[in-house]
Amino acid sequence: MKSFKLSRFLTNLGAYLILTFFALIMLFPFIFMVTTSLKTPDDTFNYPPRLLPREGVEISLEGFEKPVPLYLIEKDGVQSEFALVESGIPAGIYAETDNQSITYSVPLDQAKPSESGEQFVMPDGTVQPIMDVLINGNIVQLVQVGKTALGRFIDPEDFSREVFQVVRTSQPVTKVTAHPENYTRVMTMENMGRSLTNTILVTLFVVIGQLVTSVMGGYAFARLRFPGKDKLFVFYLGTIMIPFVMLIIPLYQLMVLFGWTDKLAALIFPWIFSAYGTFLMRQFFITVPKEIEEAALIDGASRFKILYSIFLPAAAPALATMATFTFLYAWNSFFWPLVIINTGNYENHVLTLTLNMLRGRASDSANLILAGAAISILPPFLLYILGQRFFIESAMSSGVKG
Amino acid sequence: MQLENDQKSIKQTQMIIKVATYWHFLLSFSGIFLLFIILYEHGFGKIPVWLSYIAAILLGLLSIGSFYSGIQLIKNRRQGRTASLVVNYLGLIISILFLFQNLGVFLGVDALANTFGSSIGWLSGVLIGYLVYTAGDRFHYRIHIEEMFHKIGKYIALIFFAIFLIKAGLIPALIFLAKQMIIPTNFVIVFISILFGLAIWAMWREATALYLNRTNAQTEALEGYLFLSPNLIGFLIFFAFPLVFSFYISLTDWDAFGNSNFIGLTNYFKLFQLNLKQLANSSQDFFNVMDGSIFSELLRFNMFGKSYVLGAADARFWIALRNTIVFGIVTVPLSAIPALFLANILNSKIPGMKIFRAIYFLPSIAAVVGISLIWQWLYNATVGYINYFITIGLDFINNIFSTGYPQAQIRWLSDSRTALLAIIIVSAWQTMGFNTVLFLAGLQNVPKELYEAATVDGAGRWAKFWKITLPLLAPTTFFVITTTTIQAFQVFEQVFIMTNPPGSPGTSTLTIVLYLYQNGFQRFQQGYAAAIAWVLFIVIFSVTLLQFRSQRKTGAYDV
Repeated sequence: MKSFKLSRFLTNLGAYLILTFFALIMLFPFIFMVTTSLKTPDDTFNYPPRLLPREGVEISLEGFEKPVPLYLIEKDGVQSEFALVESGIPAGIYAETDNQSITYSVPLDQAKPSESGEQFVMPDGTVQPIMDVLINGNIVQLVQVGKTALGRFIDPEDFSREVFQVVRTSQPVTKVTAHPENYTRVMTMENMGRSLTNTILVTLFVVIGQLVTSVMGGYAFARLRFPGKDKLFVFYLGTIMIPFVMLIIPLYQLMVLFGWTDKLAALIFPWIFSAYGTFLMRQFFITVPKEIEEAALIDGASRFKILYSIFLPAAAPALATMATFTFLYAWNSFFWPLVIINTGNYENHVLTLTLNMLRGRASDSANLILAGAAISILPPFLLYILGQRFFIESAMSSGVKG
Repeated sequence: MQLENDQKSIKQTQMIIKVATYWHFLLSFSGIFLLFIILYEHGFGKIPVWLSYIAAILLGLLSIGSFYSGIQLIKNRRQGRTASLVVNYLGLIISILFLFQNLGVFLGVDALANTFGSSIGWLSGVLIGYLVYTAGDRFHYRIHIEEMFHKIGKYIALIFFAIFLIKAGLIPALIFLAKQMIIPTNFVIVFISILFGLAIWAMWREATALYLNRTNAQTEALEGYLFLSPNLIGFLIFFAFPLVFSFYISLTDWDAFGNSNFIGLTNYFKLFQLNLKQLANSSQDFFNVMDGSIFSELLRFNMFGKSYVLGAADARFWIALRNTIVFGIVTVPLSAIPALFLANILNSKIPGMKIFRAIYFLPSIAAVVGISLIWQWLYNATVGYINYFITIGLDFINNIFSTGYPQAQIRWLSDSRTALLAIIIVSAWQTMGFNTVLFLAGLQNVPKELYEAATVDGAGRWAKFWKITLPLLAPTTFFVITTTTIQAFQVFEQVFIMTNPPGSPGTSTLTIVLYLYQNGFQRFQQGYAAAIAWVLFIVIFSVTLLQFRSQRKTGAYDV
């Protein structure tokens, strides 16, 4: 009995480990998106990459106009915070005469030609004077092998403790920050604010339009007998699997004919008729008991009245499922808007198009691009959290019943 | 008195039917007249030839229908009523659509978009109204409180919606429409639509229906088509017609500006034209053996000690086809097998399963464009996380086996060897969760008794999986594989966003749909692009058919 429990515990543990691993794979890009969108531009180019947005800590020091950045510096074997007060100090790289691989970077004014006036012949044949260089308070005789620029770091508590070091390779003191202003900035770029409202408008129209036509069509297919019904329904079914790219060129020509190219109308009206939605609603309506409807008919209710007051309330979950499905389709569509809306026509862009523009315009600002991506990705996520059930059901309905 | 009234009403009905009959004959004759104008004068000059043919066919059908209904109405048959209602309804719809198009109602969306940004806030008031309405449901034991809530909610929603409409510019829009009405053509269209409307009313009214011996079946059929009509008309205009039209376009050299010549199957010939030539040696110049103005090199190969070169009239098409098929073949198992695996684990009813399912589903609800942007940065060669993780992994291996792998510096998206793989990974990642949910739904349909019986018989975990789960899951598997394949063969957005220029480096990520886009909307050879679309359709269709066959052959159980 004990071994059974143990093996069960181990199996469950293994299952959780695998599930968590995959969950991390699924989540990581989104976490990366959100944290990167809150970073400063410099922070996005750090290697090794850091997940959380960080930025250098600055402090105000007496005698300095601007706040100065803090760095972690090792002095006398102890690592502590130092402030960078001056950078770009001309300096030389000095090496020991007997072992040229040991080098010291020291500001030029801390090295003087040696009083002895000795000279040293370098391995490549050039002749260099031997210098007296101040290192850790001691004067060492070294030879200059190169040039560099250093920064002067001082201890904020004791200004006399100072260190000269290359700034680029020093480790700055950082703290976790967030820059939500990336979002407000990206909203003003490429007319994103307008494209956000355009997307909302288009999505609203498409969802409502598709619900209306699908409910009516689905009701007709489910409950009314008319000649040619079965053939029509098979025809509808047959078209569900036809890929969208088949339609893109003739639809484009149709839009040219209607004068809808470059117009939001082209993003709405062709998409409010859905064979799939009709099919979905029909499948649902067919499960509603017939007796209620017949009773209502005998009472003299019209078909519209029956649809409105009996079928619609009962169909609320099915409607929500279909609405989420359509919402995702309308909100995320890219190919059709790309074809139909001119790149130069900023007034009629939708979010996906703006993201495409942003990718070209701000190609090296990961923080801005990912803030833009977050603006398009997070609203569906928000709805998903509110009504997860309908999203999952919309996926399932496409599989199980189809 | 009663009798007199009935007599009067019957007379009235006869009168109405007579007028309707005249109206139908008038309609059919004017329809025929218009048809001749269109056919002989080529219509109103502006409209393209194909459109004039469609208009002619439509007019012809409507005229015949109208004539038929006129004849039947003379004989007082109910078929006349049906035909009359159908013809008039179609006439009404067509003239209203014409009116809307003329008035610019459809383009009004653009105007609405101008003010929508500033007025959208008022829509949240509608939401508040809805919340108040639903809050009333909690008091269902006190009906008057519930009704009060419902009423208040309704009014709040209505008031806010009215404010929204006014803020969005309803009044200027109405003034604009009223001004447009004065234009003679619009006025005429309105007049005609009113005539159609009157004719519908005349036929629909109960007295006429009774006089013409309506049956319940007839009423139901009419109602059926009435309910279906918005859907059906839109479906025909925006789906069925374009599908047929697409084939016609593929037989022409259509450009984006509407110039076209019928060229038969030339587009298809160009797509599939191949030329195989033997080479003197494997490094011989391509142009020595083939006409460079027609063919370009597709591939060289050695067979039986001789070198051959294959040239294609459109080498890029073949490359795109190959890339697409490779993409499909790798993506489908890469997203379906882990999905099946995960679904099996999730199905064992462990606590927290719903949370995992919710997380796995996340990628499939995000926009492909956004996803592609994220992954573009993850793939970054110098600071991207993918290379960083690989480096960590390599460091680990280096430490254990004391090997000397260097840091990973893979230029995922700009190296022709990895670019397609990079896009495959993104697509598989995105569809995996969706497939997991589908598999899970399928698994939950598998009867538990089978597993119990198998356990009693001493079957192990694997035996159960192979002998019960997999066969019973076959319909779901079939569905998952089919939809994922169809999706994979249409890959476009990932490539378009992640590679720059799209399809680069070289042609390593050029896919069929991308090639279609380039032809149709960058080079404006829309006839050629339509031909590519049909080829893609045939590929997808045959793959689906193949999968369908194999599913049949394995004799899957239908749960």
